[in-house]
Amino acid sequence: MHTMATALLACTALLAVLAVSDGWAAGPFDAPGFTKVFTCTACHGPAGNSPSDSMPILAGMPPAYFKKQIAAYATGKRPSPEMAPYAKMVMHLGADDVAAYFAAQKMQPAKSAADPAAVERGRKASDQCIVCHGKEGKGDVDKGIPSLAGQPAGFLREQMLLFKTDKRNPGDVQLKAIKAIMATIQDATFADLAAYYSSLR
Amino acid sequence: MTQFTRREFLRAGAAGAGVGVLGLSLGGGLAGCAAPLTADIAPTTRRRVVVIGGGWGGATAAKYIRMGDPSIEVILLEPNREFVSCPFSNLVLSGVRKIDSITFGYDGLRRHGVRVLHEAATAIEPDRRRVRLADGYLQYDRLIVSPGVEFQWEQVEGLAANQDKVLHAWKAGPQTVQLARQLQSMPDGGVFVLTVPPIAFRCPPGPYERACQVAWYLKTHKPKSKLIVLDANQNIVSKTGLFREAWKAYPNLEYRASNKVIAVDPGLREVRTEFDKVKYDVVNLIPPQRAGTIAVQADLVGADKRWCEVNHTTYESVKHKNVHVLGDSTIGLPVPKSGNVANAMGKICAIAVVALLNDKPVPLMAPGNTCYSWVSDREAIAVVNAYKIENGKVVQIEQTLTPAQSPFVAQRAEGWAKSIWHDVLG
Repeated sequence: MHTMATALLACTALLAVLAVSDGWAAGPFDAPGFTKVFTCTACHGPAGNSPSDSMPILAGMPPAYFKKQIAAYATGKRPSPEMAPYAKMVMHLGADDVAAYFAAQKMQPAKSAADPAAVERGRKASDQCIVCHGKEGKGDVDKGIPSLAGQPAGFLREQMLLFKTDKRNPGDVQLKAIKAIMATIQDATFADLAAYYSSLR
Repeated sequence: MTQFTRREFLRAGAAGAGVGVLGLSLGGGLAGCAAPLTADIAPTTRRRVVVIGGGWGGATAAKYIRMGDPSIEVILLEPNREFVSCPFSNLVLSGVRKIDSITFGYDGLRRHGVRVLHEAATAIEPDRRRVRLADGYLQYDRLIVSPGVEFQWEQVEGLAANQDKVLHAWKAGPQTVQLARQLQSMPDGGVFVLTVPPIAFRCPPGPYERACQVAWYLKTHKPKSKLIVLDANQNIVSKTGLFREAWKAYPNLEYRASNKVIAVDPGLREVRTEFDKVKYDVVNLIPPQRAGTIAVQADLVGADKRWCEVNHTTYESVKHKNVHVLGDSTIGLPVPKSGNVANAMGKICAIAVVALLNDKPVPLMAPGNTCYSWVSDREAIAVVNAYKIENGKVVQIEQTLTPAQSPFVAQRAEGWAKSIWHDVLG
């Protein structure tokens, strides 16, 4: 019992160190999965915190959602010329390890440069989104609904356009509802919605 | 940019390393030609990695070694005070971007504790594990050589003597700006000749992206002008179909395959191919290439005397122990000479070097390559390659191409650039 408590304490201490470190400060190469994700950082940023407007943040992403998307990229169900080869690389390396690595990283939300008016317009236009993604845009892990909060605006906007034109998972019955909603929204409003969800924390 | 003299460098380094007082001062008792060679210019008791070249490969490796093991001292030798990105530099030619937007300092690396010394390595002594500088040397435990490409001036008659007039603009920097000016001041109705060297060369799709940018500029600003592309290769060597499609928008672009340039005469404003003479108003001659000079001089190159063969999982040279080679200088891996690949190699090599210096096993890691090309001011295309390690060798898993050019691909290109510049230098 004593040993277990010590081990637990050590674990907690380790977690605390990981939590306060900026991504990699404490022996980063030894973090489980690191040597399988280093390629990803070129686009997705340090520890999966993308610094750019068009690349999604992977840090803190639930493993089940991550793996589902990797599988969809690899099979071509979610068409992406960029991600298709890399998804196969992830499968080759072990999707569980890669997913676990990103899930363990602390998400640093996108730096919001959007103008407050756009954010406010987006908030007002978000009624239909709330039904699934929740009031705070955090989604629902159990239902496999992703969090939108703090993702880069450019990325969110592109995904909405892909849904609208049925280019994200074409023909996927599970996504019929969201595509029907997107079809009713003007393209210009996507920028507002993206600004709003990107600004959420 | 702060000027960093050697004296300041030594002072900063000594403080950073906790050495306290350096055992020698420069200029004083060690003045003269031979004397400095007898001493390390920045002695250290710590394990040291010296990196030659602060480009995509070297800068990434330097940063990641410091991140992986802060007890290792990393000295980066890079004569240039600023990093200018080759990716996106073709957009400077067309005026779509300014050179400032692709120019970065090395302060990000300094924040990681990399000691950046703006000096050139003049020689490598693998047996003594040291790198020579203009005066003095640096001892190393492991050396990373990432010198990029050097031009084979002698392959084109008249080129070596006219380097100031016949521009390559194939190392982003002053020549990029000069060539943009030449293009801007070319009279409408003029002929711009772009010549492509035989493979292998840095950035296989680069010349064809450049053709797009020059053709777009001419179409937009000098509609009576013409671009002639003289390609030493039999066909467009990368993203062939996508470039062919993009060029349909540029009737001002004339592409001539299998036209190897063998001579240039700036007096006559003429290039000569094996079969033909072509007059120009502005010429952009991309010379044939080989590994950076220091790699050739240090006998890191193979029988072809051009490129360096390396171990596929550590990037250690097959010719010299404790010396690693990265980026465009390497050959034998089924990867293109791209910035993204050099960045990936930098990370893999850094992880391997940290493991080796700590007597740990080296994990098996393969690079990836995401490569965007701009076909106009607002549209781009891409090729992506993923790799794996099989029996100790890099093997391609898959290559994909974007189905067509689009502004969305261009947006993702912008995102890629911002992220990867940060990965290299931030």
